[in-house]
Amino acid sequence: MPRPASREPEPGSDPLGGDQGMLARATGARLWKDHGLLLWAHFLVPPVLAALVVAATFATPVLAGILAAIVLGIAAVSARALMLRLSQTEEQRLALTNQLIQSQKLAAIGELSAGIAHEINNPIAIIAQEGEWATHLIGEAEKQCGADFAEVKDSLREVRAQVDRCKNITHKLLDFARKREPVMQDVDVSRIIEDMARLVDKEAAYKNVTLVRSLPQDLPKLRTDAPLLRQVVLNLMTNALHAVSEGGRIEASARADDEVLEIRIKDNGCGIAPENIEKIFNPFFTTKPPGQGTGLGLSMCHTLVTGMHGEISVDSKPGQGAAFTVRLPRRPQPART
Amino acid sequence: MDIKILLVDDENDFVETMVKRFGIRKMAIDSAKSGQEALAAMQAKDYDVIILDVRMPGMDGLEVLKLIRERAPLTEVIMLTGHASLEAGMQGMNLGAYDYVLKPADFDDLLDKVRKAFERKELNAKARKQGA
Repeated sequence: MPRPASREPEPGSDPLGGDQGMLARATGARLWKDHGLLLWAHFLVPPVLAALVVAATFATPVLAGILAAIVLGIAAVSARALMLRLSQTEEQRLALTNQLIQSQKLAAIGELSAGIAHEINNPIAIIAQEGEWATHLIGEAEKQCGADFAEVKDSLREVRAQVDRCKNITHKLLDFARKREPVMQDVDVSRIIEDMARLVDKEAAYKNVTLVRSLPQDLPKLRTDAPLLRQVVLNLMTNALHAVSEGGRIEASARADDEVLEIRIKDNGCGIAPENIEKIFNPFFTTKPPGQGTGLGLSMCHTLVTGMHGEISVDSKPGQGAAFTVRLPRRPQPART
Repeated sequence: MDIKILLVDDENDFVETMVKRFGIRKMAIDSAKSGQEALAAMQAKDYDVIILDVRMPGMDGLEVLKLIRERAPLTEVIMLTGHASLEAGMQGMNLGAYDYVLKPADFDDLLDKVRKAFERKELNAKARKQGA
């Protein structure tokens, strides 16, 4: 019998407790471990009862008939329960496999792009240095021969600007791939949302967009990494601000139950096309015109939230806005290795 | 425990008020008027929390933040700005700033954030020691 690793989290805790636990659940090993007795009953009760019927046939035919009917009924109920259970497991397995594939895909893309960024960083630095040197040489030449090299200097300035742009992207990528172990503190989530909303307010006012906060007074404190959460909230709000048109509305809300604290940033903007929903958390995926967004914001959010042992999801219909939901566990999570 | 704080801002009045208000609470706070001054001060002393203005003449606050994060990764930085600049805020948070305060800063608010930043720094230092 395949046994899940000993590090497997307690039943009922984080539904995504590590790859091991995820796999154990996906393959049904978890089911066997938790419900072994029940499954044995499923398999053994009908044959045992059948044996009883055989025994009963040696008694009166009426008694045999009654016993046979009872056995048939029990067998049917048992089979049905088993099938239900199997189909539920299958559904869970599918969902978990999908999640696993998605997070593995994101991790692979992240690693690849960080590798490329790292390799490209050096040549970019050399281009910047050489550009600066050329600018210096042109300046000297200008002084010596009195000619006007304004156009060359202009072109070098542009080289510099574009190099800076490249550097910006590679830095973001490297930063995003760097694994930061979260530092857990008691965090006032309402306060974080309010603080970040204030940063967005002014820009929102320019666009005539209202940023509504609906935060319950009694939202419990959450043990999590404060700056990471700020980054996620700010990114989602900025994202929403880009998605809405003039006069739009963004709503930031939060709520908690015993298990999770949920933050939701909802906008009434253009929404996300169904074919893009799957790709929305991929690094470099953007619907903005070239040069206006690196497509790293949401994938960064995904990485950060996963790092905080939480989940991020999106719900959207084209033309009806989008809602991003971040769900963070309220109980301490086992450290991941 | 004493928190070693450095305030980096070119606005004299603001710095004086802050130094006074932290002083009332018996909290020593050093100040620097520019990025260069701040980096020089960091060589002489290990700060726990640096409160950093984003907009200063000379070295840009975000540039200073990058250098602080490189040179003293454990030191937490709280960004400070006179106006809500979303872009600077995003960049600051992405560069690893702990928090962001809008001027005019409410003192209690700032104090609370400094304490939280310090708590994180201590937790981080402890985790590193255990990991090493």
